[in-house]
Amino acid sequence: MVDEKELRDVVKKTISRDDVKYVVGYEKGTYGFQATPCFAYKPEDAEKFIFSPLCVHNLTVFPMLEEKPPLRKGEEPDTRKIGVVVKGCDSRAIVQILQEKGLERDKVVIIGIPCSGVIDPKKIEAKFPGHIKKVEVNDEDDKFAVTVDGKTQKIPKDELMPEKCKTCEYPNPVLYDILIGKEIKSKKKEDYKKVNAFEKKSMKEKWDYWEKQFEKCIRCYACRNACPLCYCKECMVDQLNPQWVRRSVNLSENTAWNLLRAFHLAGRCIGCEQCERACPMGIPLMKLNKKIEKEIKEMFEYEAGISAEEKPLLAMFKPDDPEEFIL
Amino acid sequence: MDKMILLKDDLSKFITELLKKNKVFAPIQSDDTILFDQITRPSEMNLDFCKSEIPPKNLLFHQTETLFKFTPGTKAKIESVDVDEKKVIFGIRPCDAKSIAILDHAFKGDYEDPYFLSRRDNTALVGLSCNKPEINCFCTSFDDSPASSKYVDILLTDIGDKYYVEMNNEKGKQLTEGMSNLFKHAKESDAKKKKEVEKKAVDMISRHQKTNGIVEKLDKIFENPFWKEVAFKCVGCGTCTYLCPTCHCFDIQDESTLTKGARVRVWDTCMNPEYTLQASGYNPRPARTNRVKNRIYHKYNYYPKNFDVIACVGCGRCIDLCPVNIDIIDVVTRAGEVKA
Repeated sequence: MVDEKELRDVVKKTISRDDVKYVVGYEKGTYGFQATPCFAYKPEDAEKFIFSPLCVHNLTVFPMLEEKPPLRKGEEPDTRKIGVVVKGCDSRAIVQILQEKGLERDKVVIIGIPCSGVIDPKKIEAKFPGHIKKVEVNDEDDKFAVTVDGKTQKIPKDELMPEKCKTCEYPNPVLYDILIGKEIKSKKKEDYKKVNAFEKKSMKEKWDYWEKQFEKCIRCYACRNACPLCYCKECMVDQLNPQWVRRSVNLSENTAWNLLRAFHLAGRCIGCEQCERACPMGIPLMKLNKKIEKEIKEMFEYEAGISAEEKPLLAMFKPDDPEEFIL
Repeated sequence: MDKMILLKDDLSKFITELLKKNKVFAPIQSDDTILFDQITRPSEMNLDFCKSEIPPKNLLFHQTETLFKFTPGTKAKIESVDVDEKKVIFGIRPCDAKSIAILDHAFKGDYEDPYFLSRRDNTALVGLSCNKPEINCFCTSFDDSPASSKYVDILLTDIGDKYYVEMNNEKGKQLTEGMSNLFKHAKESDAKKKKEVEKKAVDMISRHQKTNGIVEKLDKIFENPFWKEVAFKCVGCGTCTYLCPTCHCFDIQDESTLTKGARVRVWDTCMNPEYTLQASGYNPRPARTNRVKNRIYHKYNYYPKNFDVIACVGCGRCIDLCPVNIDIIDVVTRAGEVKA
């Protein structure tokens, strides 16, 4: 359990620095089990900061979403740092972006929090449907203590965690400037059980499955916008000349979009599951990402977002790289 | 307005009758999602739901719509597209039905939209009262009710072993012509039961938005830093607008190959920077904050000024599915409290 007072003190200290523009963290959401990103611009703002298993968002998306609107005459660009609160998985996104030189190390202050698993909002809302006003969720070893309207229930973590947390190998931030609380030991291992099971299906079964999924896509691009690694200046689907993907929403274009996104994240996806969480249509996007992650791990012994000094997968070459897939 | 009774056991007979002369669209469950789609048998629909993932506006205002087809080149031929056959949307919720009445203003405005309007004329709305509103439902904030019959042709309300049926207009009566054996006149006790069911549903709605004086208030706080505070966390996806039953912006594009082409209309979203990007490269809404503000202003200021109705029905979809909990109940209520 994270000491929220310690978190607030750290945020206060960070935002008090002259070279920090703002700190992004979490605050309580507006209803039920929601937590929501929040920003501290001045020391008092730190008071609303929280950290609980409901803090599911990967906030590293915010430095990447920084907009640079045209400056007025005489106005200087604000080049101060951004403070970001990160969990283990979130920190890997920063590492990956640093590796790709999408961000400079001295432009972020990383406030790390060890995390032993968050709660999938869909799962907990299904368990406690309806009109919930006051909730509190605490982390208690292998259980979540969920208090709803004054009654506390202890629920095994496996029942409420998203898939990524069940096999998380990096509960501690891999890179941070300040660490809150103590590092966690974890024996969890990514075994790709679901990918392996899916691989066994016939080609037709797999295609039918994905057709059904992609048919649901409404191309709102929530997957892209919630993803910290989708930070292209202009996304391929937005380009008009040439237009790579048509605006028509149909199976063909939807498939093009979802597959091109999966491939553009090959060797870059750090598995934070934000795309799947944000998808309003419930498309299991992590199934695609995990499959690619597994292949890359097996073929190139590479894992995204572990070391900022390493070169990105697609920017390095080893003479003994396997090449059976080249026709 | 005729008040009738339809026994639950007769519901499938009613649907079967409707299917004889109309295409029927009803809520269908697939995996975890409920969507309105065409049914061929009554057993395909699922009425145990609160709201469909995508509002049924997409049956009248398609996400992708071919306006006409053409053959490119000097000898271009233009081919028009058939307008829909008679259609019934069965099980539409009162909030979603209201949204269609709101959309009428936009599509009947300065320019009549023949695609939407002809489809609208050919579509009958058979509503189903909402007996189990969910956490983010707030239709009562607009003086509406989850069992309002105002915007549908026929409204069914589940009152236990039967449906209380309100035939709202001529369209509703025509739709049920020749089915008099299925409907019986309602008794006083049935009407009372409906009132009870309605009250129970209204009482379940726990969240409320304060909209008193919001139109005038928004005029005064356009430049207020409040907007940055509520909108800075927006990640800029289009979920809120695509899933909004009253959002109706679109883009028009020609999509062609060497031999054939089509002019298509697709949903667009004001959350997309490209939406306001001008050919010169100038963008009047350069930041996400500007865009979130526009979404609120369009619904709570521009639309009421133009058409005298707030363009929000309180379905709560944008709240349910926003990945960062931008909550329109909270935003509008707080906007009302901002010091101008």
